[in-house]
Amino acid sequence: MGTVHARSLDPLPMQGPELGVHADDLDLPEPEHETKQEVLENKDVVVQRVHVDGLGRTKEDLLTYEIADVFKARNLIDVMKKSHEARQKLLRLGIFRQVEVVIDTSQGADALPNGLDVTFEVTELRRLTGSYNTMVGNNEGSMVLGLKLPNVFGRAEKFTFQFSYGTKETSYGLSFFKPQPGHFERNFSVNLYKVTGQFPWSSVQPSQYFRSHAHIHIYPFPIWKTNHTLKWEGVWRELGCLARTASFAVREESGHSLKSSLSHAMVIDTRNSTILPKKGALLKINQELAGYTGGDVSFLKEDFEIQLNRRLFWDSVFSASLWGGMLLPIGEKSSSIADRFYLGGPTSVRGFNMYSIGPQSEGDYLGGEFYWAGGLHLYTPLPFRPGRGGFGDLFRTHFFLNAGNLCNLNYGEGPQAHLKKLAECIRWSYGAGIVLRLGNIARLELNYCFPMGVQSGDRICDGIQFGAGIRFL
Amino acid sequence: MSLAAEAFVSQIAAAEPWPENATLYQPLNGKNHFFMLISCHVSYVPIMSQAYLKMCGLPVHLCCRANAEYMSPSGKVPFIHVGNQVVSELGPIVQFTKAKGHSLSDGLDDVQRAEMKAYMELVNNMLLTAELYIQWCDNATAAEITRPRYSSPYSWPLNYILAYQKQWEVRRKMNAIGWAGKSLEQVYEDVSQCCQALSQRLGTQPYFFNKQPTELDALVFGHLFTILTTRLTNDELGERVKSFTNLLSFCRRIEQNYFEEQDRDSQSGASSRHSKGPSLM
Repeated sequence: MGTVHARSLDPLPMQGPELGVHADDLDLPEPEHETKQEVLENKDVVVQRVHVDGLGRTKEDLLTYEIADVFKARNLIDVMKKSHEARQKLLRLGIFRQVEVVIDTSQGADALPNGLDVTFEVTELRRLTGSYNTMVGNNEGSMVLGLKLPNVFGRAEKFTFQFSYGTKETSYGLSFFKPQPGHFERNFSVNLYKVTGQFPWSSVQPSQYFRSHAHIHIYPFPIWKTNHTLKWEGVWRELGCLARTASFAVREESGHSLKSSLSHAMVIDTRNSTILPKKGALLKINQELAGYTGGDVSFLKEDFEIQLNRRLFWDSVFSASLWGGMLLPIGEKSSSIADRFYLGGPTSVRGFNMYSIGPQSEGDYLGGEFYWAGGLHLYTPLPFRPGRGGFGDLFRTHFFLNAGNLCNLNYGEGPQAHLKKLAECIRWSYGAGIVLRLGNIARLELNYCFPMGVQSGDRICDGIQFGAGIRFL
Repeated sequence: MSLAAEAFVSQIAAAEPWPENATLYQPLNGKNHFFMLISCHVSYVPIMSQAYLKMCGLPVHLCCRANAEYMSPSGKVPFIHVGNQVVSELGPIVQFTKAKGHSLSDGLDDVQRAEMKAYMELVNNMLLTAELYIQWCDNATAAEITRPRYSSPYSWPLNYILAYQKQWEVRRKMNAIGWAGKSLEQVYEDVSQCCQALSQRLGTQPYFFNKQPTELDALVFGHLFTILTTRLTNDELGERVKSFTNLLSFCRRIEQNYFEEQDRDSQSGASSRHSKGPSLM
């Protein structure tokens, strides 16, 4: 039997889960070895040794978890499959630039006749790497410069320093990331960052805010079909008005505050893709409790997101989504402008300006403590399907109907009164547009909107509206 | 305040009369009464603005807020919220009330007005700086009084961070104006000299410009009253001021005329002061 080279497939992008892309989204093709299948499948083999060549500072105990499965293989196809999986796992750690697998018959005195040696030839990443990215958020863009110290202590730990300069926010931050050996998806991270940004919708001229964050993430750990994330977050916020004309209601909120909160998120996601899915559903529930771990703001915040997708005739997809949330201040202090919900804009209720729905004071939007928003979409391929099977597949036309409401509630009134208030003065809009999918991360929309149910003070965008973002209603 | 903003204020403000709901904001809320009293009076001497408005006969509500410093457009306290205008610091407040037709210095001629401005500058440069120096640069005072007071509205660890940040800021300012090298004794000496000058100007008159109070009186009263009524780690500063008997009686006079009488007139009214503020009596 000769040497079988399992040549490397395209290397996986080296990114941690903090970027929001899961490795399983990438739909990597399974290796195909059908031509030899009949000959080799029946032949029993034993994996005697697994070598990892090219290790420098990486600790071996980390790798034993990742390659343990290779020993369980009982025939050659299995060995190749398991080796391939192990290779993917090694790449996912984000500590190797390259991993190649060599499978050979065992050599030496104790070699069995059917013994195999598997060798992983790895190239470690340098101690210090730099990166340059551009990012698209919800109607904002930013440029990110990063410095990374991968594999600092030899167990896939990572230090990153990031500087990001964006249209709305400028931030710099330091983060430390540590996966649990053998369970890369369970990880622990500490992030410290400082953000300076603007809430232009909260003041006629931009007002400034600044945040220093520290958070500890433990995420995600699966229970049954759900994924859970736990997070402690400490945020030091400084709000300030730069504009003299900022309304007094916004002015009153300026100054320092410290939020310390525990939050939990649960996600069930059966969609086939995060952007423009064709089937499946999403349920996301977030809860945040602030105040019990210190700090000077206390509240309970709950919000959820539901999305259902269904494939219809002619490659068109029907999608329905519903968002909702509430913020309950605990104690005497009312909620802060930085914690409340905002609604409106091309990524939520289309036809309205960014975050320009709901309570306001002298033209500054103050956000609300209670909101809901729903949307119905019909996505179809472009008319006459130009560029079918290629570039044209990135585009879709869509027809939408959005509705939502945002308000403050007086918590003495009881749930009946609250529901009634949320059902009054509903803002809604309908329209059609073109959606462009950017990779599996972001999407761009160009819509023609007809806002309806406009209340006094809402700022609308009657006609063409452009939206870019990652999370869409 | 920029020239354009000044023009804006005088243009807009003149159109409307003084409203009933004018509010003077000063730092710290009333959670802790002891802290509130000393802070409201020492922090940035808002009492002079209050005295000024009282001298003008303008009604004003008092409101203590922990974040007053950040609410103010210039970052300085106190500020007044009148209608939809926000005006901070004594100078702009004087300008603003003048635009509304209330002025204390109308009776003065140009020479007197120039003199008044000169004395106000002296007070701002000497007394204000000396107060800041003692509050933040004298280690004992900063550790025992100023930092705990400044940080009281915040929770850990923000209280430490903000207080040290403030102290660092003040010390940097002192470096810039050349006060960093001064000893406490030298600062006391400066205060004495300033008081000496004020005492000579005042002489035996009831106010600096004879019968009518002006903004200079409000300013001097604000600073001296604060120095006299604030408990510090030692009494040296207060004693220095007390040695000028005419200044002491000047403070008592203003306190009696503008604070106590009005308190009696309107115990719960719009212009009433905190029920038990510090007093010179």
